[in-house]
Amino acid sequence: MHRILLIARRDYLATIRTKAFIIGLVVAPILFGGGFLGLALIQNKPDIKERRIAIVDRTGVAAAVVIQAAQERNTKELFDKKTGRQLQPRYVFETLAPAADAKVQRLELSERVRHGQLFGFVEINSTALDPSKDETAGQDYEASKDPADSQVATFMNAGGFDEVGRWLSGSTNEGIRRVRLARLGVDRSRFKEVLDNLTVGRFGLVSRDPKTGQIGEAAKKNEAAEFGIPFGLMLLLGMIVMIGSSPLLSAVTEDKAQRLVEMLLGLATPFELMMGKVLGALGVALTSSAFYIVGGTLALEGMGLSGLIPFALFPWFYVYLVADVTFLCSLAAALGAGCSSPQDAQQLAILLLAPVMIPYFMIAFIMQQPNGAISTAMSLFPPFTPMLMLLRQAMPGGVPAWQPWVGLLGVLAFTMVMVVAASRIFRVSILLQGKSAKMADLVRWAVRG
Amino acid sequence: MDAVQIASVTKTFGAVTAVDDLSLVVPEGSVYGFIGPNGSGKTTTMRMITSIFYPDRGEVRVFGKQMLGARSELIGYLPEERGLYRKMAVQPMLEFYGELRSGRKVTAEVEGWLKKLELTKWATQKVQTLSKGMSQKVQFIAAVVPAPKLLILDEPFSGLDPVSADVIQSAILELRRGGVTVILSTHDMQVAENMCDYICMIFRGKKVLDGTLSSIQDQYGNDTIRVAAEGGMQFLEGLPDVERIRDLGQVQELRMARGCDPQQVLRTLMARTRLTSFSIMKPSLHDIFVRIAGPEAGEAQVA
Repeated sequence: MHRILLIARRDYLATIRTKAFIIGLVVAPILFGGGFLGLALIQNKPDIKERRIAIVDRTGVAAAVVIQAAQERNTKELFDKKTGRQLQPRYVFETLAPAADAKVQRLELSERVRHGQLFGFVEINSTALDPSKDETAGQDYEASKDPADSQVATFMNAGGFDEVGRWLSGSTNEGIRRVRLARLGVDRSRFKEVLDNLTVGRFGLVSRDPKTGQIGEAAKKNEAAEFGIPFGLMLLLGMIVMIGSSPLLSAVTEDKAQRLVEMLLGLATPFELMMGKVLGALGVALTSSAFYIVGGTLALEGMGLSGLIPFALFPWFYVYLVADVTFLCSLAAALGAGCSSPQDAQQLAILLLAPVMIPYFMIAFIMQQPNGAISTAMSLFPPFTPMLMLLRQAMPGGVPAWQPWVGLLGVLAFTMVMVVAASRIFRVSILLQGKSAKMADLVRWAVRG
Repeated sequence: MDAVQIASVTKTFGAVTAVDDLSLVVPEGSVYGFIGPNGSGKTTTMRMITSIFYPDRGEVRVFGKQMLGARSELIGYLPEERGLYRKMAVQPMLEFYGELRSGRKVTAEVEGWLKKLELTKWATQKVQTLSKGMSQKVQFIAAVVPAPKLLILDEPFSGLDPVSADVIQSAILELRRGGVTVILSTHDMQVAENMCDYICMIFRGKKVLDGTLSSIQDQYGNDTIRVAAEGGMQFLEGLPDVERIRDLGQVQELRMARGCDPQQVLRTLMARTRLTSFSIMKPSLHDIFVRIAGPEAGEAQVA
C-alpha cells in the first residue's frame, strides 16, 4: 500500500503543479458550459433584420387577422421595456391573391425566398375555416405531405429553430379561431374571455409535519431548480470525471514510450503501479471537485440562492465520482498500457468518453421521464449509473429509495471487476514494445491474465 | 548462500522461446556477467530475476526465496532502456525511487551518492537538462539507493564516455567490495573479462558458457598465437595449420588447428618476415564469443 500511495502522490503532485491543470480548472467549465454562454451572447446580439413574408390566403379573411397580429407584435413585443432596445425582428407581410396554378405560384415565391426578397411564404387554405367536414371524411392534416392538403402551410428556407414558423402557427391559430367565433355569432368583445390562456400553477407534493402533525403547504415549483440543479450536478460530475481520467490514457502511453515503466516495475508490482496512477488521478479529480463544489456553493450563497444547493446529494455525488473515476482510470491505464504510441492511445479515447458522453446525450429523455422503465434501466446499468442515477436523484420527486443503493452495488462490483481486468491487461501489456495490442488481445488478457 | 538460483527456467513470448531451460547459480558477493548477442535472452533472464516477468516453467530464487511477483528492497535494477522522469528535479526523483524501493526516506543516501558521482550541483536541476552521461549516472544512483544486496545492471556502460564509464565501474566494484552481488550484462568483452568473477553466455535462449574466465578459456586450451610481424597480414596468409587469422591492426591473432605445433608456425613466420612479438595464449573472450555466435558458428552448423 505504501508504494501505491507514493506513486499516487508523485503523479498527483506532478499533475496539479502543471499550468495545464490550473488553466484547465478554469477553462473546462467554460468549454462544458460554452453552449449556455454562447446562447447568452447570441441573445445579447439578436438578429433584428426584418422578416418579409408573403401570405396567400384562400379563405379571404384569415390574412387580415394574421397581419393585424403581426402589427400588434411589431408595436408591443419587439423592444426591451426598460432600455427600449430592439430585441426581435419585425414581421412584415405582403398579401398575394391565390394564382390559378398553385404550383407555379409556389415556385415563383420560392425563387424570391432564394434571392433574399422574402424570408418565407404562407398558404392558408380554405379548409382552415371549417375543418370539421374534412375531419368527418377522415382527412388527416398532420399526415398530409401535399401543401394543398394542409390547413396552413409555411415555406421557409431557414433551418434549426424556426421562430417565424412558431409565431405563425400561434398567430394563425389565434386569428382563425377569432374568425370562426365571429362566424358562430360570438360577440367580438367576448373573444378575449373565450381565448384567454389559463395560468397553470406548478407545486410540489404536500406532506404532514412529523413533529406537529400539521399538513404543510405545497411549495411552488422552481423551474430553475428543477432543470438547472440536476443538469448542473450531472454536468459537473461528467466534467470532473473526464478531467481526472482522460489524461491517464496518454500519461501511461508516454511513460511506456519513454521507457519509464521498466524502471518503475523494478520497484513496484504492475498492480501497485497501476493503482498508484489510478489513485493519483482520483486525487486530481477530488481536488477539481472541491474547487467547483466550494466555488459553486459560495457563488449560489452570494446570489442568495443557497436554498437551491442540493447538500443531501453531495455524499452520493462523491461516491459516484470515486467509483466512476476509479473505473475509467483503470480502463485508461489498461488501454494506455496496450498502446505503443500516444497516437494509438488517442484512437481509443472514445472508449473512455462513452460512459460520460452517452448519459449526456440521454439528458433530455431522462428529464422528461425520470422514472420511466428505460430511464430506470439505463441508470442501473453500471457504466452509466453515476451520471444517470445522480441526474434522477437530483430531480424533483427523486427515485425510489432502493434504486441508488442497488445502483451503487452494481457500480462497485463493476468497478472491482474492471480494476482486476485492467490490472491483468496492464501487467501483460505494459512492457510490450513496437506494436499495439489488438482488442482481442486485451479481452484475452483481461479474462485469462 | 547463493544470491540467485535459476533452475530449468523457460520463458516464451507467443511462438518465440526467449529463455530455454536455463539453469545457473550466482554466488553471493560476486560480479556475474551475462554476455550474448542481441535477443539471446539476457534481458529476459534479468527481468525474471527481478520478478518483472514470471517464468513459464522452472524456478527463480533470490537469496533462497522465490519472489513470486513481489518487489524487494534487496534488489537494485538498472534497465537497459533508461527511465527517468524528465520533468522532475534530480534529487526529488532519486528520493522517490529510493523510497519506493525501501519504504523509508533516503535523503542522506541520495545526497551521498550525488556527492560521490559529482552530481551535487545538479541536484535541483530537472532531469531533461542533464547530458546523457549525467543521466546515466543518475539512473545508476536510482538503482543503488538505498543499499541493495543484489544489483542487476542491464548494459550499464552502454553509451557512456570512458570517464563516465570509469566512474560507474569504480562504483560497481566498490559496492562489490561492500558485499553486494552484481549481475550485469554487457557487449564489451573487455568489461566482462576485467570485472566479472563469473561469466555466462546465453545464445538463442540457452546457456552456452558458464564459469570463471579462466575455466572458460581452459575449455579451448592454448590455441591462440598473438604476433606482431613486420608487413602485417600479407606475410601471415596461407600459414599451415592455422584455422583463422584475426587482424587487430598492430597485432594479429592466429587460431591454431587441433594438433598444430606452434614452434613450426614460429619457424615458418620467421622465414617470411621479422617478428617483434610472438606469444602463445588462451583465446580471448571476444574470440570465444565470435566462435559461438559469429558467422563461423553458422558455417560449422551448416557443415
